[in-house]
Amino acid sequence: MDAFLYVGLPYLSLTVLIVGTVVRFRQAPFSVSSLSSQVLEKKQLALGTIPWHIGILILLAGHLVAFLVPDIWRSLTANRAFLLTVETIGFMAAAMAAFGLSVLVYRRLVTARLQAVTNRMDLVVLGLLLVQVLLGIGVALGKRWGAQWSAGTTSPYLWSLFTFQPDMTYVSDLPASVKLHLGLAWVMFALIPFTRLIHGFSVPLGYLWRAPQQVIWTTRRRLTRETARAGGVNPETSRRHFVKGLGGLVAAGVLMSVGVLDKLVGYFRGQRLDRTEQVDLLEKKLERLRATAEEQSLELERLQKDAILVAQLGQLDPKIGRYFTDYQMRPALAFKGADHLPILISAKCTHLGCTVASNVDDKGQIMCPCHISYFDIRTGQPNPGAPAKLPLPRLGWLLKDAKGTVMLTQDGAGNRTWPQGQEALDPASLDGLEVWIAKRFDTEGA
Amino acid sequence: MKTAGRTRRFVAFLAERFPAEKMSLQAMVQKKEVPVHRWSWAYYLGGLALFFFIIQIVTGLMMLFYYEPSVATAHASVENLTNNVPGGALIRNLHAWSSSAMILSVMLHLLTTFAMKAFGRPRELTWVSGVLLLFLVFGFGFTGYLLPWHQIAVNATKVGLGSIDAFGEYLPGALSDLPRQLRETIQGGATVGQATLSRFYAIHVIVLPLVSFGLLGLHLLSVQLHGMSPGVDKPTGRTEKFFPLFILKDLKVWGVVFLMLATVAICIPFDAFLDYPLAAPYNSLGSTPDGIKPEWYFFWMYYPLELLPFWLVAGGMAVLQVGLLLVPRIFRGTSRKVLKSLAAAAAIYLIVITLFGQAIYEMFSGGH
Repeated sequence: MDAFLYVGLPYLSLTVLIVGTVVRFRQAPFSVSSLSSQVLEKKQLALGTIPWHIGILILLAGHLVAFLVPDIWRSLTANRAFLLTVETIGFMAAAMAAFGLSVLVYRRLVTARLQAVTNRMDLVVLGLLLVQVLLGIGVALGKRWGAQWSAGTTSPYLWSLFTFQPDMTYVSDLPASVKLHLGLAWVMFALIPFTRLIHGFSVPLGYLWRAPQQVIWTTRRRLTRETARAGGVNPETSRRHFVKGLGGLVAAGVLMSVGVLDKLVGYFRGQRLDRTEQVDLLEKKLERLRATAEEQSLELERLQKDAILVAQLGQLDPKIGRYFTDYQMRPALAFKGADHLPILISAKCTHLGCTVASNVDDKGQIMCPCHISYFDIRTGQPNPGAPAKLPLPRLGWLLKDAKGTVMLTQDGAGNRTWPQGQEALDPASLDGLEVWIAKRFDTEGA
Repeated sequence: MKTAGRTRRFVAFLAERFPAEKMSLQAMVQKKEVPVHRWSWAYYLGGLALFFFIIQIVTGLMMLFYYEPSVATAHASVENLTNNVPGGALIRNLHAWSSSAMILSVMLHLLTTFAMKAFGRPRELTWVSGVLLLFLVFGFGFTGYLLPWHQIAVNATKVGLGSIDAFGEYLPGALSDLPRQLRETIQGGATVGQATLSRFYAIHVIVLPLVSFGLLGLHLLSVQLHGMSPGVDKPTGRTEKFFPLFILKDLKVWGVVFLMLATVAICIPFDAFLDYPLAAPYNSLGSTPDGIKPEWYFFWMYYPLELLPFWLVAGGMAVLQVGLLLVPRIFRGTSRKVLKSLAAAAAIYLIVITLFGQAIYEMFSGGH
């Protein structure tokens, strides 16, 4: 059942739509329109057709946008203000459409003159449209924020249909009302070539750009009325118009200034927070101040001290680097190498200065996320063809034991010295040693 | 003798550009006529840019009441403005959307005045002051981007300033360190930090506005002195009075545009298109998050920088900047038809690279 509803029916209906429309255009091109009944009944038509068309066009446009650009739509509707706006517009459009359509149905059913030009298909179309609009409102009310969830369900489903890789897993969990709404939509697509819905293909957009035409009436009554309207100026009425217009403008101006002033006063009065909000705000501020203070104390430490502790060697990991700050206040990473000795390397990308990520991939490389350069952590060399051309500088280090005796040093070029002699360093107790960076290994501007 | 001749020529040049006899309210306002033809809509673009500039000043001043330019508090103060101050989100949103709108209208203004050959004698200085204003607008964009001090702001600024370093590669010997020193002078330290924030703040809020006022005054004065350029090869002969008709129409356009801007600013937060961590406060000890990109109006130079060799893009940019300033001289004899084609080509490039830059980049960089 689902397979037919979600895959069979859509393709069937689209085939019927395309073939049927082509056939109708070829065989009866002048029937591609909607039979007008304005001559037979005018007042209710205006009351019905205008809100209906405004409403349904807005709704269709909304459906279309959510389908065409689901990613942009999703990020937009993640925003509360935008979502509320969209849903409000949607409900207003739906109300207009439902109201207009009801008027149209009523008019068809009760006006005797219209019965003569009404065929069965007109009634079917009207009925289906009404059901569809009401169903849509039901879905929007019953399963709120459709503007948001549709981007992850119906949009990808429709894309899968139009790319000929139908995937109904996106929509199989949706409630029956949504299923019905979708199914009915496909049925109506199939009906387009056989009903007055075909007029969607003959929208007279040319009207918008054609040269203005003046209708000249020949009956005397019409003639006088239209001439007066077209600009036969009567000084008395024009004065009245001017005064009315001025009054309107002044009133609008006053209203607007009151509104703007109100907002301005509110803005400059500033935030009015309750206790918890105040607490949150102050806590956040303090936290940031502490982070800044910490950063500045790091800077001070680097000015004052000849060597700075990075970590215990045992805390370092071969796969996930530990960030620290070098003597130039630039980010750097510490790893444990294959020989269980530390690897210290600058984390400031030599391309444009982004901070390189800390996790090592299978090839022993770390990546700069800005322009995708991979650096070998042992040599610092970038991968061939990377945006970065220069290697990440390696940093020198000291290994101290718990008493502060320097056991091993390595400078930026990789030269090692054993101040206590090579044999004094016990490979088994390496993890207990401390890794330090030293001012004397710091190469300015490297 | 030679200097005397030069001085005389220079004075004559100035006298033609700033004719004293026209410096009256009567000549500059009452007698001014605006040509009516197919391209008349382009006469509104400069005014539109001015309108957005006014919005920027008003909303910018309002935000100054709450913004705190220090690395510890900048982000929190912006957050407070957005979340707690009544109307704060709207003011900030207006500032952001209007900045984009201003840059868009300035770009369109540049293209249309170029296509209409509005830089011809005696309007050379109008053009040059306009180009300088364009540079300032981009300066506004670049410096303002840093002020909220969130991840994308600081990292994008790092990348932007970092490209100065890339010049070092092409300089010989001792000179090759010069670009780095220049960058550190601009940012006031080895990395982007408090000094950078203070400097960008001063530049964004004081320096650039003051310079803009001066240049804008010159620009508007010369527009009013010389009137609108004819704009087309065969003038229709029809004109409308600048005052009050054109001014009123201009105000109407401003009103409609303001309505649109306010609607957008109320409904769509400008950062709705960013992933959240990018707008989190900057963390100097963490790694750079993915997806660091400049604002859309820098895409036209950002994507070429990503894809092409640096020297090519840098050279192109230098040629472009000098070329823009020299347009009145270079294209003195070019017909409007050719100018229109050139402007159309530039417009197509800008649209394509701005809309599809990311796709093009992914296509050529091997799908990273």
